[in-house]
Amino acid sequence: MAKGVKIALAGEGGQGVQSVAMILTEAAYAMGKEALYIPNFGVEQRGGVSVAFVQIDDEKIGSPKFKTADIVVALSDRAVRRTTMYCDQETLFFYDDNIEDVEEDLPKNSKKVVALPAIKVAKEELHPRVFNVVVMGAVIGATGVVTEEKAKEALESKLGYKFEQNPELREMNFKALQRGMEIVKEVM
Amino acid sequence: MTKPIEGEKKVFMTGNEVVAWAALAAGAEIMYGYPITPQNEIMHYWTRMAPKYGRKFLQTEDEISAGFTCTGGVLAGKRAFTATAGPGNTLMQEPMSMAEMMRIPTVLIVCQRGGPSTATVIYSQQETTMTCYGGNGEGFRIVYSTATHQELFDYTIKAFNTAWKYRFPTFVLGDGYQSKMRESLSIYDPEARNIEMVRAEPYVVKGGVPGENRDPAHLRNTYNMEEELYEVIMDHAREYEKIAPEIIEYEEYECDDADVLLVAHGVVSRAAKGAVKELRQDGKKVGHFKPVTLRPFPEKELLERAKAAKQVIVIESAYGQLDKLVKSHLYGCSTPIAQYFRPGEGITIEEVVQETKKYL
Repeated sequence: MAKGVKIALAGEGGQGVQSVAMILTEAAYAMGKEALYIPNFGVEQRGGVSVAFVQIDDEKIGSPKFKTADIVVALSDRAVRRTTMYCDQETLFFYDDNIEDVEEDLPKNSKKVVALPAIKVAKEELHPRVFNVVVMGAVIGATGVVTEEKAKEALESKLGYKFEQNPELREMNFKALQRGMEIVKEVM
Repeated sequence: MTKPIEGEKKVFMTGNEVVAWAALAAGAEIMYGYPITPQNEIMHYWTRMAPKYGRKFLQTEDEISAGFTCTGGVLAGKRAFTATAGPGNTLMQEPMSMAEMMRIPTVLIVCQRGGPSTATVIYSQQETTMTCYGGNGEGFRIVYSTATHQELFDYTIKAFNTAWKYRFPTFVLGDGYQSKMRESLSIYDPEARNIEMVRAEPYVVKGGVPGENRDPAHLRNTYNMEEELYEVIMDHAREYEKIAPEIIEYEEYECDDADVLLVAHGVVSRAAKGAVKELRQDGKKVGHFKPVTLRPFPEKELLERAKAAKQVIVIESAYGQLDKLVKSHLYGCSTPIAQYFRPGEGITIEEVVQETKKYL
């Protein structure tokens, strides 16, 4: 990776965007990269659009927030409307294809707008609860910021205690990660 | 009892966690506090970790009380600290004024949020003036403004030593971004870096016999005569000015031939540094000066750089609080000073680049 990657992840509270940001940056850190993650907290914490700003680079990272992202991921209609402001002509914009009535609100100026079937894949093939891990897989597939192996290790360190109680969860999460990486290749 | 940190290790954590670890590593014995966002997790991490190492915590009924109990802990000889933000910092100015008057080495970590009043729980640099000059005193305090998690760790440890060595209240001026963001840093046992912690000792209930084998502990916060107070304040002023050169810290980035000098402190200096890096790639002569200590201020050092430049730009997430400091210290310098103020809002590398280009 020659240049740092800036990612803005947005969704409804509870969709797990902050967890994705945390696991992603933990994985990058474990790979010896510089990583910075800052949640957009405040009123959002109490029900609203939750945004995570992630930066991964080979060099020390500058300001914690940025004007425009290389990758924006929006997981709800409100998140789509909220995050178009982080787009410019270099931005890859992902949104879930399950979100309705946002055609008008999608960014007009971004490099590419991609609909991801993350909710569908999670619901039909796995379990709705691993939806955010499918999304994380898609981000990894699109950017290559971290390896699949390090992402698995980061998942293990974050969710290991749950995996111990129910080993099937481990399989499901790893599968979700893999499917995320696959679907992004299919739709791009 | 085992040490909180053995040797040195690399970690990836939030700034609030960093502060709790630093205070533990520095041998802080007790934290006094009252919850306020974005400071809360300093207390959370401290209360989770402190009992394992025989350290204590007291939650008070508000920040006035947290500040006063903290000064009380210090008077009793404990390496004590507190942490707050925003309106909590406002309330803490009264106890911190007393610490200033009585030369009590309190340590206060400030996690700036938006102001005035409740405003936002997120971020700002609007507590700069208050942290430097709050209360009805002269600002005889030491204020470290940090930009990275590494600095947050380093200067939290240092704050205890500066406070106890010089006996002026000492502040670490962070902000909500630093509190909540995660990045990597090295945490360490001060001993592993040959940092000796200055011993804390009681101001009251000392051993020995006053007048015989030690001086009496004569602690005053009230004066009957103007002349008496004047003498005390002038003593503090002389002492403060004498020690200032030992305490002053600053960082320069590409300043040597800089025509445009960007002045920023705290987390904003990351954007200034990033902008300099980018503009230098295009061959632009831009440099960045970051005061690490806002009190005492690196006046001589900034003045020298400012005089050599053609333009100074002050960049801050407040409406002129750093600008006031800079101007008062650049008196007599004829280099024009421009401003980029974003009160209560984060500043990115992109906007500093854009702003700087106006002057190139």
